[in-house]
Amino acid sequence: MPLLFSILEFGSALERWLAQDAATVQAARYAGELGGDAPELRRFLDDELRAAGIEPGRVSVEVAPSHVGWREPIRVSLSSSYPLTIPFLFSTTVPLHSSAISRGEVNR
Amino acid sequence: MVLTLVLAPLLVVALAGVLQLGALRVVAARVRAAADLAALVAVNDQDDAELARTGTLRLSADAVDVAREYFARELELSSPLLDGAADEIAAAADVAAYPSAPAYDARTGARYDRPAVRIAADVPVRTPVFGALVLRPVTTIHVLAVSSPR
Repeated sequence: MPLLFSILEFGSALERWLAQDAATVQAARYAGELGGDAPELRRFLDDELRAAGIEPGRVSVEVAPSHVGWREPIRVSLSSSYPLTIPFLFSTTVPLHSSAISRGEVNR
Repeated sequence: MVLTLVLAPLLVVALAGVLQLGALRVVAARVRAAADLAALVAVNDQDDAELARTGTLRLSADAVDVAREYFARELELSSPLLDGAADEIAAAADVAAYPSAPAYDARTGARYDRPAVRIAADVPVRTPVFGALVLRPVTTIHVLAVSSPR
C-alpha cells in the first residue's frame, strides 16, 4: 500500500513540477515582452497556474530585475511546496523551484 | 508474509525506477524549454536597420552567439541535474542561423521559409538511480529547437 501511494504521490508531484516549469517559461517570455514585472504578468501567471491546477496564492514569484531595458536579461522564478503524504510511512513537503531567463524586448 | 518479504525489494526497485523516469521526464522538458527559449530570444533580436530600411525581418548578425549564450544561461538554472558545465554543453551545441529564406538545414534537411535559428544539442543529465540499478548513470537528451520570426 505505501509503495502504491508513493508512486501516485511522487507522480503527482512531478506532474505539478512540470506544470510549474511550463508556466515559468511562458512567464519569462512575457516578462521580456513587457520589459519587466507588471500587473499583466502577474495576471498571466495566475491564469497559467490556475489552468494547470495550481493555486496561485501558494506560489511565490520573483522577477529579477523588476524592470529591464532592451536586450537585458530578465529572470522569472517560481517557488512552491508540494505536500506529500505516504500512508503508514511519512508526510512531508517537497520544495518545487522553477526559473527561466528571457531578454527585454522593449526599447524604452 | 513470506511473499511480501520476497516481493518488497523488487517493488522498491520498481518504485525507484519509476521515480527516476519521472525526474528524467522533468529534466528533459526543462532542457527542451531551454533550447526553445534560447532560439526564440535569438530570433527576436532583429536587424533593426534592415527592418527600418526595407521592412524585411532579418536576423541580427550575432544571433548565433545570442542563442548559445541564452542556452547556457537557461541550462545553468538546472546545473545540479546536468552531468557537465552548462557553458560547456552550450559551447558544444550545434547552433545555426539562417538569415535569409528560403534556406535548407544541412543537419536535418528541413526547409525554412523564414529566417530561422536552429539549436541542436546533446545534453548529459545525471540519472543516479539508473546507475545504482546497473544501468547508465548518465543519460543524454537530444534536443532540437527551431525558431522563426512572424
